[in-house]
Amino acid sequence: MMELTLKRESSRIIAGLIVSFGLFAILPLFIGEGYVSLVNEMLILALAACALNLMLGFTGMVSFGPAGLYAVGAYTTALILIYTKIPFGIALIAGPVMAGLVSIVVGWFCVRLTQVYFALLTLAFSQIIHTIIFQWYGFTRGDDGIVEIPVPAFFHSITNYYYFSLVVVTICLCLLWRIVNSPFGKTLQAIRENPHRTEFVGIHVRRYRLSVFVLSGFFLGMAGSLYCGFNKNVFPNYADMMKSTEMLVVCLLGGIHTFLGPVVGSVVYMVLDKVITLYTEYWPLVLGLVIVGLVIFLSGGIVGFISEKIAVARQRDTG
Amino acid sequence: MSFQGFIIQLLSGLSVGMVIFLIAVGLSIIFGTLGVLNLSHGSLYMLGAYLCFWLSSTLSQFSGSFWWALFLAPVAVALFGGLMEVLLLRRIYEMEHLVQFLLTFALILIIGDLCKLGWGVDYHMVETPWPLNGPFILGQFIFPRYNIFLILSGPAIFVGLWSLIRYTRLGRVIRAVTYSREMASALGVNVPMVYTGVFMLGCGLAGLGGALVAPMSAVMPGMDMVVLVDCFIIVVIGGLGSLTGAFLGSIIFGLVHAFGILVAPRLAIAFGFILMIVVLIIRPWGLMGKPE
Repeated sequence: MMELTLKRESSRIIAGLIVSFGLFAILPLFIGEGYVSLVNEMLILALAACALNLMLGFTGMVSFGPAGLYAVGAYTTALILIYTKIPFGIALIAGPVMAGLVSIVVGWFCVRLTQVYFALLTLAFSQIIHTIIFQWYGFTRGDDGIVEIPVPAFFHSITNYYYFSLVVVTICLCLLWRIVNSPFGKTLQAIRENPHRTEFVGIHVRRYRLSVFVLSGFFLGMAGSLYCGFNKNVFPNYADMMKSTEMLVVCLLGGIHTFLGPVVGSVVYMVLDKVITLYTEYWPLVLGLVIVGLVIFLSGGIVGFISEKIAVARQRDTG
Repeated sequence: MSFQGFIIQLLSGLSVGMVIFLIAVGLSIIFGTLGVLNLSHGSLYMLGAYLCFWLSSTLSQFSGSFWWALFLAPVAVALFGGLMEVLLLRRIYEMEHLVQFLLTFALILIIGDLCKLGWGVDYHMVETPWPLNGPFILGQFIFPRYNIFLILSGPAIFVGLWSLIRYTRLGRVIRAVTYSREMASALGVNVPMVYTGVFMLGCGLAGLGGALVAPMSAVMPGMDMVVLVDCFIIVVIGGLGSLTGAFLGSIIFGLVHAFGILVAPRLAIAFGFILMIVVLIIRPWGLMGKPE
């Protein structure tokens, strides 16, 4: 019975993914280039948030420093493209691979700790990455950032790059979906619910935590690389605390205990960002008020709230 | 390095450490008692600095305007903190850490923008007040008087807080609530009131730190995040929730900065983090904290 509902849910999600992929694919026919670029940015943010949510929502590891790994991805791609003649495709893959390697080192330290201490240690590491990027003028060009990164001529068109990132993001989301619903993913959720019991069952909790840290780092790096190709410039502030909190807010806005929550979160976040900045320069103030409202009144996030309402309605129908 | 240079570096390290102690200790006792890691603590410090600037310039026709500002700014910040606790934080104690993180992060955004709305984005300066404006001269040795004042005020506050917690009835109540909220409540302690009080105390200290910093450095947007990150480092080194730990951590932090900058100036920003990582790996609960 349980398996049946799971299968039904899973096929529904896959159908949803296909439909939304189709919708996103025909989107550029109806909207201007400015908006296409906006949607592109949103897709990349959604990928970063989903990668973070693998730790945050599915394993219960609150990381304050996802932006560090995101920046590793972005800078790896950028540095390869400006210093070498290696083709774009390989440079793009090198980003997440490098981020994954860095997360092995960072994660090895971080997963020894839990809760607040884990969060603070991830913050410390991302600040160190920020410092390295910021200070290493000879290599990373410091706070000037790396500008005018050479990308293939095909990607000078915003629409072309949009289709490219749509494909990449969809593939990554499918992979993440596979991970979450694999036995490995279920173990992660068991760790989230009760690490002690999971340990007693014979699961090496720390090793699982490290694996998920690296996986999440890989996809964060992917988002970073993708953004590097999109923006064609990278700056040290990709690694700063504001960027990390942006990702966290996106996850929480959409709801962290659902797979697609962060995607919805990124849509809402981008729309809020663009609409509010039209009217006022005090966007942080409004965002802050929105978050306060969200926390006090709707702590399960938007998707959590809606699915709760649906569940209640359905119960009323059957009962 | 000459002996004189060494002393000057030592003193400047201590004066940085002592100001940041005031802010970090507030963060630490709030976490220890309420179990909330208040991310907006740095913003309260910034608010204190702005209020000090505003009050000392509004009251400038009176003599001793700075001293009034130094007294009134922390009080105002404490009241603001009390309002925050009663209206918002009180609702989320039972929820997971993540929610607390989000709410207090939202307060960073709100307070930061309110400061911008009130005082603009330009930086402001506060004049160093008489009798602390000028150098302290002892033979060949010269050092700003104001920094000496800061170095002395840190330990004074530390001793004051320590005796408050150690020897007074109020201190015993706070310790009881920290130890076991339910038990203290069952014994008739008004726990919500203690929470509000401790939160206001911590915020007031952050405000005091801000007011004290105002004559030393420019008051401007962005100062909140810098200090917040430094506070994290200090409370992690010292142990979250520990008063003595915050004091020790601040001294270590100040000295590492002051001397580290001589050794490797470009890596100075990273020193604090490296220190924090080392401590977290060797002693995750901090120098003076207790293991979970």
